[in-house]
Amino acid sequence: MATQEKTKLVAVVDDDELMRSALQGMLKSVGLPSQAFASAEEFLNSGQQRQTACLIADIRMPGMSGLELQAQLNAEHCRIPTIFITAHGDTKMRMQALRAGAVEFLAKPFDDEALLGSVRAALEN
Amino acid sequence: MKVLSKLQRYGLAIISCGVALALAGPIDAPSSCFLLAVTVSGLFGGLGPNLLSVALSALAFAYFFLGRPSPPARESTSLLRFAAFLAAILLVTVLMEIKRRAEESRSRSEEALRQAHAELAHANRVTTMGELTASLAHEVNQPIAAAVTDANTCLRWLARDHPDVEEAREAAMRMAKDATRAAEIISKVRQVFKKGAQQRELVDVNEIIREMIVLLRKELSSQSIAVRTELAADLPKLMGDRVQLQQVLMNLMVNSIDAMKNVEGKRELAIKSQRAQDEDEDEDEQLTMSLSDTGVGLPPQQADHIFNAFFTTKTDGTGMGLRISRSIVESHGGRLWATDNHPRGAIFHLTIPTKIEAHE
Repeated sequence: MATQEKTKLVAVVDDDELMRSALQGMLKSVGLPSQAFASAEEFLNSGQQRQTACLIADIRMPGMSGLELQAQLNAEHCRIPTIFITAHGDTKMRMQALRAGAVEFLAKPFDDEALLGSVRAALEN
Repeated sequence: MKVLSKLQRYGLAIISCGVALALAGPIDAPSSCFLLAVTVSGLFGGLGPNLLSVALSALAFAYFFLGRPSPPARESTSLLRFAAFLAAILLVTVLMEIKRRAEESRSRSEEALRQAHAELAHANRVTTMGELTASLAHEVNQPIAAAVTDANTCLRWLARDHPDVEEAREAAMRMAKDATRAAEIISKVRQVFKKGAQQRELVDVNEIIREMIVLLRKELSSQSIAVRTELAADLPKLMGDRVQLQQVLMNLMVNSIDAMKNVEGKRELAIKSQRAQDEDEDEDEQLTMSLSDTGVGLPPQQADHIFNAFFTTKTDGTGMGLRISRSIVESHGGRLWATDNHPRGAIFHLTIPTKIEAHE
């Protein structure tokens, strides 16, 4: 897939409004453009998948979960480097996410330098 | 016994006596036949039919088999036979009644226990500490995570060569919002235990204590913990939320069990209840309870911190059990506190006003 012309957009998918604005604020402070979605469905329906260079997603959300979103994107052959942030970081879930191609799996509250490091790494690929 | 109607049960007594009478003559064994009839009536009919069959048998026995002695027998022998027969059927009646009562009280207590289990299970599903704390921890974690991120963002804007105060201000405002949300969640939990959500009824605290001991019997015996109770017989009932008080007792007992898990030597849980002696307020009657264990004891210098939210000494503790227990007791107008036990362990004390005393 030719990726060089992709805008370096970071998508944030989290059902919690405070978390969404915190993540967007964080990305803005390091000069990264971002767009936030309140649910996996909203993201899938937005048609932004192809422009997204990095996805930050919550795991547990009403409706489609973060892992289901990842599976759906994989099924659409839309491989976006994905960083999961979750309040319940159990090992099994972590393994499942990483096996399906997630680049990072962070427990809330997370170290934002670690998160930004992963985002940057994802964007440089 | 419940499958037969009252009429059927009395009918059974009459029929079995009739059958006994019919058989007694030909086989010449009246006492055995009537004894069997009495046993059958008592076994399937209950006390009433049992007594009826005793009366019928005694009458039939006396009338048909004592009155006309076929071999010449003296009167004293006849009377003796009758007395022995009467003693036998009455003994059967009494024994059966004793057994029936024992069974009844056992099934009643089993029923009560089952109900307690069901109620507790229901409470567990709705508002129990485990569930509540798990969802509370999740709920609170969310705004806290956002606050941490916003704080770092704020710092990042300020740390620039040319600090962007406007952006930093926005991040700080978000942070304030995050913290407010976290506080709101906590206060919502408190409200759960305020009046509105409570179901007030007359509660016998001694009964709850006994129930909880039964429910935790397995845990207690597997840890070889001896339970000693001193429950005041004249303990007044209190007006309160039964399920919540069960949760408090359960929580305190589980804490004690956990505290004794890894200690050597005597493991004893002593539970006392009594009417409060010092009544400084005019007519406010109080009852007090205490749970003393011989466990690891309270953390030194932090005796009261154990009631703080998220304070825990257990590896898998949520740090909410005692916090919620105290909230429940306080919502009943009472107090919950802890002191050291000697030579080892902790004592948890509760006082709760009875508010409306039960007059019975």
